[in-house]
Amino acid sequence: MREHDTRRLVYLSMLVAMGTALHVVEGMLSIPMPVPGVKLGLANMATLLALHLYGFRDGLTVALMRVVLASLVSGMFLSPGFLLGVSGALGSTVLMALLLKRTRCFSMIGISMAGAVGHNAGQLLAASLVLQSGAVIYYLPVLLLTGIPTGFFTGYLLNSLLEQKSGILRDLEPAATVPRREETVNGT
Amino acid sequence: MTRGDKFLLAALVCFSLLSAGVLWGRFFLPAGETKELQAVVTVRGEVVRSIPLSTDAKSSFVVEGRIGPSTIEVDGGRVRMLEADCAGGICLKQGWIARPGQSVVCIPGEILIRIEGAAPLDAVTR
Repeated sequence: MREHDTRRLVYLSMLVAMGTALHVVEGMLSIPMPVPGVKLGLANMATLLALHLYGFRDGLTVALMRVVLASLVSGMFLSPGFLLGVSGALGSTVLMALLLKRTRCFSMIGISMAGAVGHNAGQLLAASLVLQSGAVIYYLPVLLLTGIPTGFFTGYLLNSLLEQKSGILRDLEPAATVPRREETVNGT
Repeated sequence: MTRGDKFLLAALVCFSLLSAGVLWGRFFLPAGETKELQAVVTVRGEVVRSIPLSTDAKSSFVVEGRIGPSTIEVDGGRVRMLEADCAGGICLKQGWIARPGQSVVCIPGEILIRIEGAAPLDAVTR
């Protein structure tokens, strides 16, 4: 059991690190976007992977630690943009966890798209609180229309990643299947 | 991609297009029509009269300033100070005003005529 906890700790740490790296690098890439505030959301893959492998609490931890670390790296800690990032991460994580746990009809694509929408909703909520104005709602269609393809893309990436089952993902399996894995470890 | 994904994708696209229609339809339509221009006359800080400038009607009226009566003339879309009792007559020399944000000021009489309304944007910077 203890070994399992250590393994989990290491994998979660790696997911946080990967999420942070993706988040920061994504911020550096200036993909020509016609509107500000639109990005690919690659870092969400780490959150979704953590949710998939370890459940809501660990997924939320990965998401929040990723946002805090990435903001420290890029010097945006406690700025308005940071608050938007935190609430966006909260919104997407909660929504994705809900869909992962309560529904069975979605692949990672659907869950990732829902995560993008949750991210947008959380962001706009924080923005309206920061700006003390409900006018930011007019930005919702822009975010939704760009969030759907980016969510689709990251979900597609994650789907094909999970299908591979090679390399590190052979070890990264959902908690339910870990005992089977340990049997084979003991057997060798 | 499962059936659930496809359904969610279609629902999200529909929802976002719908929200775009509802929000931006309301947002952009009123922007076409500008707020009606009006000349607001203020004496000693209090608004005494506001005249819509959308009609072509000619009129003039008298307001009681601090040093005596002054006559203000409205001619269609423009306004000026027609007569005043002040020594310098600076308010008379300011002539006609017609664009939002312009004003005629009479310091001795403490009279201010200001044109209010939605001004078109000079420039947009980003």
